[in-house]
Amino acid sequence: MRPGPAEEISAAIADGMIPAHVYGDPEVFELERRNLFPRTWVFLGHTSEIPHPGDFVLRRIVDDSFIVTRDDTGRIGVHLNMCLHRGMQVCRAEMGNTRMFRCPYHAWSYRNDGSLAGLPFHDEAYGGEEGLSRDRHRLVAPARVETYNGLMFAAVEDPGISLEDFLGDFRFYLDLYTAQSESGLELRGPQRWRVNANWKIGCENFVGDMYHTPYTHRSVVDIGLFREPKAHKRKEGVLYHCGVGGGTTYKLPPGDFTERMRYVGYPDIMIDRMAALWSEPQRRMVGDDGFMVSAATLFPNLSLVHNWPIVREGEDVVPFISLRQWHPVSATETEVLSWFAVDAEAPDDFKADSYKAYLMCFGSSGMFEQDDIENWVSITTAAAGSMAHRLQLNSRMGLLHDGGQVGRPLDDFPGPGFARVGYGEFNQRNWLQMWSRHLFPPGAGDTTGRDTGGER
Amino acid sequence: MTGTTSGSGGKFRTSLPHDDPRHLIAHHFLNEEAALLDAAAWHLWLELLTPDITYLMPVRVTTMADTDPSTLGTHARMDHFAEDLYSLRKRVERLSGGHAWTEDPPSRTRHLVTNVRTFTAETDPPVPEPTGVGAVVEVESALLLFRSRGDDRPPEFLSAGRRDLLRHTEHGWRLAHRSVTVDESVLRTQNLAILL
Repeated sequence: MRPGPAEEISAAIADGMIPAHVYGDPEVFELERRNLFPRTWVFLGHTSEIPHPGDFVLRRIVDDSFIVTRDDTGRIGVHLNMCLHRGMQVCRAEMGNTRMFRCPYHAWSYRNDGSLAGLPFHDEAYGGEEGLSRDRHRLVAPARVETYNGLMFAAVEDPGISLEDFLGDFRFYLDLYTAQSESGLELRGPQRWRVNANWKIGCENFVGDMYHTPYTHRSVVDIGLFREPKAHKRKEGVLYHCGVGGGTTYKLPPGDFTERMRYVGYPDIMIDRMAALWSEPQRRMVGDDGFMVSAATLFPNLSLVHNWPIVREGEDVVPFISLRQWHPVSATETEVLSWFAVDAEAPDDFKADSYKAYLMCFGSSGMFEQDDIENWVSITTAAAGSMAHRLQLNSRMGLLHDGGQVGRPLDDFPGPGFARVGYGEFNQRNWLQMWSRHLFPPGAGDTTGRDTGGER
Repeated sequence: MTGTTSGSGGKFRTSLPHDDPRHLIAHHFLNEEAALLDAAAWHLWLELLTPDITYLMPVRVTTMADTDPSTLGTHARMDHFAEDLYSLRKRVERLSGGHAWTEDPPSRTRHLVTNVRTFTAETDPPVPEPTGVGAVVEVESALLLFRSRGDDRPPEFLSAGRRDLLRHTEHGWRLAHRSVTVDESVLRTQNLAILL
């Protein structure tokens, strides 16, 4: 029997080669839609987006629309945006505050906890509770909804693993972005825009592509947005990968923890809180080893970025954090959701400058992001052609013909997983292997470690 | 005959007549500016800005008709652009530096500016002559930006309203503030490597 696309893709990727059509093939997209996204933890938003009872935002997992609510008692809930009666979308605003979602078709009404509150002519048309028991009807919910550091995730079908176990030791790195004080992050946004690019390319770029920085982002270095031409120093950073996530770092000049945090622009009041909150190995990664987190991806489609440009002529750098989701629309189209994130306890002037730093670099108008997406759109255009079925892209950076590796992982890196200095596509291969294991339907293919990461 | 009328849409202002000198000045300014942008004459465009320029483009969100606009503004709290002269200059330097790949080859753009409505604006201290140095004119316009790039993708449109403040400086009329109200909540253009 001829192997199916999932088998072929899996075999090629195990060898570090990527069948080029995966970035533009509707058949592959259908496998992702059916087998991947409903069966793993997918990011929906952050609790700071819905701080008050009744607040809601509308978010999607591929083509399913979900209302993410904080109910009257303050509890977070996720409800399929589809009336139980005729399937109409009961919420048509992307954000707001309400106690009730009322379907405009026949006026079935749902409380903000998803329960059915009422329907017209309940007695006359349905025979009251004896015909349709309101207590037993509520908007459909995904199998599981859990949060970590305020990040809200849902799994449409039960992935058989808690969010905390899914994140595993990647939390060590996630915390560096999302837990800079006891209060955690507050988010602004998202900016939303659609690009003609496959969703996977952004995930791979953020998970480990330090190799693109010097050339793709040359224009940003040219204009002096940084205090040094640091793109060329990119290879001095480490790549780290741990279970379901991986990322890149920059190597900072000599100094201790405080000096190095100051170097990227954090004020002392924030540095003191991070020093108190972070574990000894987390502090050592920055303070002793001088590795500062930059881009990262959490499987499947949430990326994070941390960088520090100059926001005012002649002044020092200011750091910013962005969370971004590569929401799949089709094999050749992605909706980017890009949030600005900042520590909730940060001083107001820091928040304002950090926001400015974000807008200059990332998001719909960001000077980094513009050139990234130019590449991804071009790849997707080429990958949708028929010749893409005859080309395997070389993703073997760091691997020798005899199976050996260029360089070796660090022995004394303070963080979990593996880390290695310099360029390599170890992280991208890890991400792709996890992705390819998810293309198979339940019970088929090699699903070992499906939701806990891959190679070392 | 500037004034306000009240209707179901709330406060609705009447603009200056089209033969008012302030309207003629504002309309002329916007057309000249559009010509510079379409010619990619970015550095000349920068010269039209006051040193304290603020250039904003808030993110639009889809909300229900009965949403309190004041709550909504604070809820979105996000912009596509929130620029000052420094960041606009950096964007221009990038676009003209030869390594901004997303605009190489460059977009072919057409800034179609229409529905120009001019209003008097208060100044502090008041200026005796309405078009003299120190005078400020408020102008609203509609912008339809056509953008075509390469040959394998359909062209893109960006529709927006703009509210500008023009200030008469000793060097001539300059743009002191622009607020762009884009008509999409989800942009369908690949990026904003362009100016509106």
